[in-house]
Amino acid sequence: MLLLVSLAGILYAWQWIHTEISAGPPMVEIYHDDVLLARYPFPEPGKSIHFDAEGELGISEIIIDPDGVHFSSSPCTTQYCVLNGRHSKGGEIIACVPNRILIAIKGSRINGNRYDAIVE
Amino acid sequence: MNRSIPRPSLPALEQKAAWLSLLLLAVSLHVFEAALPSLGPWFKPGLANIVTLLTLVILGPGAAAMLAVWRVIVGSFLIGTLFTPTFIISLAGGVAAAIAMLTAWRFLPGITLIGVSLIGALAHMTVQFVTVESLFIHQQALYYLLPPLLLLSVTTGWINGGLAAYIVMRLKESD
Repeated sequence: MLLLVSLAGILYAWQWIHTEISAGPPMVEIYHDDVLLARYPFPEPGKSIHFDAEGELGISEIIIDPDGVHFSSSPCTTQYCVLNGRHSKGGEIIACVPNRILIAIKGSRINGNRYDAIVE
Repeated sequence: MNRSIPRPSLPALEQKAAWLSLLLLAVSLHVFEAALPSLGPWFKPGLANIVTLLTLVILGPGAAAMLAVWRVIVGSFLIGTLFTPTFIISLAGGVAAAIAMLTAWRFLPGITLIGVSLIGALAHMTVQFVTVESLFIHQQALYYLLPPLLLLSVTTGWINGGLAAYIVMRLKESD
């Protein structure tokens, strides 16, 4: 019973969050604590965006390419954020807690770039 | 003048030895989990929680709460994250899970170890997110990640509770 109630609540919350964030074109938002540092759309195939986000410990290097966004380097000791790899779907986040940098992807990629590339 | 230090009773000593053994087991699992390849951001199987559940059944709620706190402190010291954000998040999650599990064990009659473990896993994950959002990154976007991780917590909480129940059953058989 407890299991069913938990599952139902979680799935409902997941669906609600997914609906809230999947509106609009896909955008990558980069925050330091509660400050929005940058907001980018995913670039066209063959291009990439390099952004240096200054946090509590130093510079976190972020790369956005058509396949997703990832931390390429970080001044934190754990490096969990770098090891977290590339993310591309709406609702996904990557956080570097020690450096207080957050990357959030909003919007949906119904015709994601990677599929456009195959069609072309 | 012959002043001797009062000796604790044998049952009290046995209880302390049992608690220390369980603490060492929990710390070992904590360190083992830290050495595992990452299964995703902020996600760990929570194997050390099995020991908290065992302590709850064998030694009672007080000992289980103390074990949950000391496991994080000693484990973080050994893996080199003591007093870092990782430690604070881990401690908050561990304490919240312990409180939730002890409350469920105390006030929900007939609850199984699987149910207790499930509640602990959900509390652990939720409080980790609340801690990060309130202390480190003040962004509600963090909660996008919460539902899928809660779903994984339900799975691991169920498995860990099942394992703890099995171990308790075998311990009772061997008595």
